[in-house]
Amino acid sequence: MSDPLFRTEGLTKRYGGLTAVSRVRLELREGELVGLIGPNGAGKTTCFNLITGADLPTEGCIRLRGADVTGTRPFHMARLGVARTFQNIRLWKEMSVLDNVRTVCVAGGRSGFWSGVLRLSSYRIAEQSIRERSEALLARMGLEGVAGERAADLPYGDQRKLEIARALALAPRILLLDEPAAGMNPAEKADLMHTVREIRREFALTILLIEHDMKFVMGICERIYVLDHGEEIAHGTPDEIRKDPKVIEAYLGGSAG
Amino acid sequence: MSGELLWWLNLLVGVGIFTLLAVSLNLINGFAGMFHLGHHGFWAMGAYAAAWLTRECAGSLPGPLLYVATLGFGMAVAAAGGLAVGIPCLRLRGDYLAIATLGFAEIVRIAIQNLPQETLGGSLGMPVARVLMAVGPDTMVAFRGLTLLIATAACSLVILLIRNYIRSAQGRRLLAVAQDETAASLLGIDPTRPKVVAFVLGASVAGLAGALFAHFQGFITPLDFQFMEMVKMFLIVVLGGMGSLSGCVVGAFLVIATEQLLNRAPEAIAEWWQVEFPLLLALMIVFRPQGIFGRREIGDLFRRKARA
Repeated sequence: MSDPLFRTEGLTKRYGGLTAVSRVRLELREGELVGLIGPNGAGKTTCFNLITGADLPTEGCIRLRGADVTGTRPFHMARLGVARTFQNIRLWKEMSVLDNVRTVCVAGGRSGFWSGVLRLSSYRIAEQSIRERSEALLARMGLEGVAGERAADLPYGDQRKLEIARALALAPRILLLDEPAAGMNPAEKADLMHTVREIRREFALTILLIEHDMKFVMGICERIYVLDHGEEIAHGTPDEIRKDPKVIEAYLGGSAG
Repeated sequence: MSGELLWWLNLLVGVGIFTLLAVSLNLINGFAGMFHLGHHGFWAMGAYAAAWLTRECAGSLPGPLLYVATLGFGMAVAAAGGLAVGIPCLRLRGDYLAIATLGFAEIVRIAIQNLPQETLGGSLGMPVARVLMAVGPDTMVAFRGLTLLIATAACSLVILLIRNYIRSAQGRRLLAVAQDETAASLLGIDPTRPKVVAFVLGASVAGLAGALFAHFQGFITPLDFQFMEMVKMFLIVVLGGMGSLSGCVVGAFLVIATEQLLNRAPEAIAEWWQVEFPLLLALMIVFRPQGIFGRREIGDLFRRKARA
């Protein structure tokens, strides 16, 4: 029997008396594109923080290919192949667009301190492959024309694309997208939907995404988890979710009981 | 005539030493975004390490060789100090780190002052034998000229290496951590490592400056490494620009030249540099706050210092 690529068991996070996430069980199989939805404050971003190690769960565990990785530090989790983008864009604003990607890119291995300081040939070779790979990623996201710009000067939609390019530079297995379409117009959203599908295939990714735009989520995801008040209230295919009475109530009925 | 030349050589060697100090401080405070206020401690460690090695090995090694060895030793001792302070303290943020590093530098100075006199000279100071060349009234110009040459070479080399470091893959990770540590760590960058590397590198360059200083002076005392020297370094960095290496050279020249000119002035005026430098620093930060940290922290720190 094979373990799923990724899975959480009884994932719970309490802040004092407030339970932000309660006994959540998520599962991602290789190559899936899964949505995580729910009203504001449902605990979606908290889930991302727990998965990436940015926050420690109060209870429960996180498994990557069956191995327990709960409590792994964020940079280590990222190196294990879990990359993310941020709801409130967190680019390195003062750096160039290219440098945002280059900094994360590990093509050619991590070059050492002395080879960088003394500009040894091993460093130049590593730098060259980093640059080529970074430029290819920028081109993939349609940002090749702005590689030299300061990240903060990019329009909003391009900043979101740059966040994806930067996450891809980690060569991740799992990509977590936190509201990738927020603030985009319908044309940009359609474009992004297309891009997300494409990069999944090209980079053999498994994608979990948080999104408020139902059209976007329903149109792109194979399975959807719905959270409300930190609990999983439904999960299934987009068709099943659309018809689920609990989901309809959480979104439309709205009384908190 | 030679008096004037000596004065200029003295000034320029001072500029060289303070360029090294400012460049390394800028690496830590400007590029790595840490608020470190104990650079004079690493400077003192380098100077005393060089003086100690000179005393222990004088006569057993050819002079110029010993000179070079003491420069390396000063760097190594300061780097070890940087590692010892860096690993526990770099988890601290903002003014907490400033207080911890400042405390460290004061401990270094006060420890040197209170050790038995035969160890490092105590408060009376410690002579540093002339090992580079014989120094007398006739050879003073040559000695200062040679030191200036060595200091210039050291500055060029250090600036080149730091610039390479900043622009390397490791340097990019350092800048990423300085700008947004959370994002960096979620993208696979260990946030502690680049900071420790930058801190140790900065400390070792301050140690090199200390060793050069010890040999140039020929006599060092704990009074050479007081907090005012840290203020000077800081002023140079702020004046030249946070995150600008060449700015450090310009800033060092302006600050050291001002100080030396004030030293020539009548005593009543000369005394005032202790007021002018901190005041200038405060004004710079109020009117050119491109620094990494808010003015509140700096202001608070000087108020605290003034009361102490």
